[in-house]
Amino acid sequence: MTDDEARWIAKAGEGDAAAFRRLVDAHSGALFRVCARVTGDRAIAEDAVQEAFFNAYRHLRDFDGRAAFSTWLHRIGVNAALEQLRRRGRGGIALPEGDDDDERTAEVVEVAAGPERTARSAEIRRDIEAELARMSTLERTAFVLRHHEGQSLEDISMTLSLNIGPCKQAIFRAVRKLRAALDPLG
Amino acid sequence: MIPISDEDLILHYYRDGLDPARITQIEDALFASEALRERQATMLRALDAVDALPTPVADADFAARLWQQLEPRLFERAPIAPRESWRDRLRAWVNPPQLAWMAATCVVAFAIGLGFYAGRQSAPAPDEIAQRRADDAAVRVLDAYVSAHLRATEGVLLTASNSDSAHLLDGNRELAASLVDANRLYARAATRAGNTQLAEFLRQLEPVLMSLANQAPSAAIQVNEGLRDYLRTTDLLFQVRATQARLDRNGERRT
Repeated sequence: MTDDEARWIAKAGEGDAAAFRRLVDAHSGALFRVCARVTGDRAIAEDAVQEAFFNAYRHLRDFDGRAAFSTWLHRIGVNAALEQLRRRGRGGIALPEGDDDDERTAEVVEVAAGPERTARSAEIRRDIEAELARMSTLERTAFVLRHHEGQSLEDISMTLSLNIGPCKQAIFRAVRKLRAALDPLG
Repeated sequence: MIPISDEDLILHYYRDGLDPARITQIEDALFASEALRERQATMLRALDAVDALPTPVADADFAARLWQQLEPRLFERAPIAPRESWRDRLRAWVNPPQLAWMAATCVVAFAIGLGFYAGRQSAPAPDEIAQRRADDAAVRVLDAYVSAHLRATEGVLLTASNSDSAHLLDGNRELAASLVDANRLYARAATRAGNTQLAEFLRQLEPVLMSLANQAPSAAIQVNEGLRDYLRTTDLLFQVRATQARLDRNGERRT
């Protein structure tokens, strides 16, 4: 946490709108990313980010600086994303299909891609996306936090208010499912 | 060779949850075994494929849009509360958290007073009957209040584990917070009254009430699921009801 950020947090805690706006500007992108990965839906993620900042503002005085502000905020964001999913009754989450990024993914998977390999890479992407969408919310969230966000098992267990054991098992199941999704393609 | 599981490979990849000795064992095994390296490679291919998925990026104007929606919610002026009627003021006074706290304070004060009275009565010339009456009265009062306290606790546990309403859960958190203090006082009073079993049970309830009282509002889903699991795996709710029923029975027997 920078000195500037510490100052914004203190001022926002006193009701300074401009200071809180700076925090929103600084963290909304990263918070959207994690919420979108947890929910698999941009619209739900946007709602979750708004709720997360709203909750963060209301509880800003509870932020004691023991964890980084971004960690504290992401914890609120993940829970807001889960709350949004629950409100919508979305146990399994369908990822959006066929957007403009198809080719980009294919290029990353297969650098020198001919038509067949491009098709195969797109197939791999679909399989992986489908598997992520099929996972339970807990499996996907724990996996996203560990794999994409780089959170430790301990942090994940705090974010999800669970013991480390179930978080670890959720990550194991997620990785096994992803591996199984790729197996038929060798 | 020490067997290496897929779970070990996953934890080894993330360098998390393994002690250094186990990491060394896994690395030695990977060096020695072609089959294990193949298993690891399959897992890494899957994780690489995940990394190749596009990173969700917010629209360029997301922060601005977000602020536009957020600002009125954050900084809206608090509406001026209408003048409360005497009925509203009375209702506010007898709301459950205040009532629980007042009741707990009263019962402890009453128990201490009776104990003191009994002590004074018995000190100069031991009067066993008076002492027994005073003790019985103190225990009866304590039982009645703890029974009511357990009924409130049962309600809090059930609401926290079953309710989806954010408004209800907010109120429930406040109620849980008020019950923490009452719970502590009742545990002390039970210890003083020599009812160690009840005191011990109340002490077991305290962390549950505290975690409910201190839970962030946004963590409602996990709390609900975690609490449901906890209530399923332990028989806490049953114990609360059983203790409450036992205290009620004791009260009936004594009157």
